[in-house]
Amino acid sequence: MRWLALIWKSLMRSKRRTLLIVGSLVLSVFTVAVLQSLLTTLDAATNNPRSSNRFVVRHKSGLTQMLPRSYENYLRQQSEVETVCALQWFGGYYQDPRNFFANFASDETTLFQIFREEFGASNITEAQIKDYLRDGTGCIVGESLAKKNGWKVGDVVPLTGTIFPINPRLTIRLIFKSPKLSDENALHFHYKVLEEGVPRMKGLCGSFWVRARRPEDIPRLLERVDRHYANSAYETLTETENAFNLGFVKMLGNIGAIIQGITIAVVIAILIVTGNTMATAIRERTTEIAVFRAMGFSAGRVLSLLLAEGVLLVGVGGFLGVALANFAAGGVRGSLGMAMPFFADFSIQPETALACLAGALAIGILATFIPAYAATRRPITEGLKAVG
Amino acid sequence: MNAADRFDLGGGEPVITLRDVAKSYWREDLEIPVLQGIDLEIPVGAYIALMGPSGSGKTTLLNLVAGIDRPTGGSLEVCGYDLNDLDDDQLASWRNAHVGFIFQNYNLVPVLNAFENVELPLLLTGAGRGERRDRVEQALSLVNLTDRMRNYPRQLSGGQEQRVAIARAIVTDPDLLVADEPTGALDAKNAEEVLALMARLNTELGKTIVMVTHDPKAAHHARHQIHLEKGVLDRTVEVNR
Ligand SMILES: Nc1ncnc2c1ncn2[C@@H]1O[C@H](COP(=O)(O)OP(=O)(O)OP(=O)(O)O)[C@@H](O)[C@H]1O
Ligand SMILES: [Mg+2]
Repeated sequence: MRWLALIWKSLMRSKRRTLLIVGSLVLSVFTVAVLQSLLTTLDAATNNPRSSNRFVVRHKSGLTQMLPRSYENYLRQQSEVETVCALQWFGGYYQDPRNFFANFASDETTLFQIFREEFGASNITEAQIKDYLRDGTGCIVGESLAKKNGWKVGDVVPLTGTIFPINPRLTIRLIFKSPKLSDENALHFHYKVLEEGVPRMKGLCGSFWVRARRPEDIPRLLERVDRHYANSAYETLTETENAFNLGFVKMLGNIGAIIQGITIAVVIAILIVTGNTMATAIRERTTEIAVFRAMGFSAGRVLSLLLAEGVLLVGVGGFLGVALANFAAGGVRGSLGMAMPFFADFSIQPETALACLAGALAIGILATFIPAYAATRRPITEGLKAVG
Repeated sequence: MNAADRFDLGGGEPVITLRDVAKSYWREDLEIPVLQGIDLEIPVGAYIALMGPSGSGKTTLLNLVAGIDRPTGGSLEVCGYDLNDLDDDQLASWRNAHVGFIFQNYNLVPVLNAFENVELPLLLTGAGRGERRDRVEQALSLVNLTDRMRNYPRQLSGGQEQRVAIARAIVTDPDLLVADEPTGALDAKNAEEVLALMARLNTELGKTIVMVTHDPKAAHHARHQIHLEKGVLDRTVEVNR
């Protein structure tokens, strides 16, 4: 028998209790890991390092209000601006309204420059881009979206409009990859399709995505653009791409506070449950602990053995919880990820997994240490007298 | 007549020497003396039955000798060590090396089988796997339980459990065995078996044994009986066997 065997056998004293505590740990760690990863995912969506050169101009009163496309001229005239891309959320679906994904009417001539970093991840060729530019009813789709629907270049995708009363039939000219899965679950088509198909959209667009030459220029530009259009018929709201995305996340409510609240509640609950279970388990062994010590096990040795039991218990629970969360993350990407772009990037980050494991271990140590320390401070003679 | 005369337990080097040992408990400011002025020398190889009425301090005295309790006065020298000089951790190692414990309720670890229970005290000795196995098997064969090695305590009779406990007590080859009512939970036949076993440990292996018992029949197996009365030594009786 080795020390580990002794620890393991002691843990298996009450299989039901051990199973219950491991089960509640798995559930708690799973919950916390998923929620914290959700938070990190949303944070990442509003903290895209590749977006540092970009900002977004839209109507001051919201995204449903349009801006004149002539604004592009003013934007291009600014010496700090490299290029501008008109981009409108189309909101169509393919075959089934539940089959929802991000699709945009966008200025095909500048799209690839604006999102240079994103498109740079794929090996798309000049020839492919030309194919798309040449075909007025062409479209480009992300690889993960194409895979999901079994699309390939040359296929025709009929989109049904929900916001706009047109149902464009688009031919796939290019399939792109992107460093972020959320960008890959998207479809873009020529802006003209929208402008020509929907009379009220003539010369209008919901947002302009602007690429500055240098990130340092952005604060100045944001201010200048909004000032320029202040008191005009179409006032603007100009913000960085990250701030723009944050607006979407904020629509979900104060998610951060809710998640942290739940996390704290789960941690406290599991600490109480684990602490109580360990206290009971150790109390039941009062006599046994006294016998161990009579045989020559020092108080410190007994304490380490009990702590090792607690650590092993929560270690197993924590590991399984993280593993389960990781497994579930794949499911979230595959389902919710298609509906909400942010969730396409959902995963349990290594830091979150480690933090959850460390948290579980801390709970195990704390929950075991208190009753174990008390037990080893008890006089041996008292422990031997205890009925157990 | 001095104390040494009254409690003469025969010749031989003393393995236990108690000088004016006292133990008191305090309830609030009130001192409750449990043992007073205990002077006692027990020679190597003795087999002592510690007797006396309930509450007379037998268990308390045994615990002091075995180093799991501390006196409030006097000194104890056991197996060559002045126990007052040892700190708690040193005392723990000392117990591991020198004392084997036998309890009334056997106190085997329920989740370990007979072999593993006996092996427990050896985990502290630094003995290797092979050596541990040899010693455990030797101890179990001495108590005649080699065939029950893989049984868990719940799969053993009371008498067998106590024999496993005895094997555990002797596996480290201690000089001193202490037993508090070792037959208290056994029927007459099993009690007789356990007592015969302890007598063999005394005569054949030369273990010094201090056994607390109420039972005159059990006490008869010892070579000397020491009587405690209200915390003081009352008289010593040599047993004629
Ligand atoms: N922790 C304690 N606090 C206060 N008094 C105690 C404590 N432990 C023992 N005593 C008292 O010390 C006295 C001796 O107790 P001890 O257990 O040594 O008796 P005993 O001779 O072994 O009795 P029994 O035959 O019933 O086992 C008793 O009066 C008991 O009440
Ligand atoms: Mg007693």
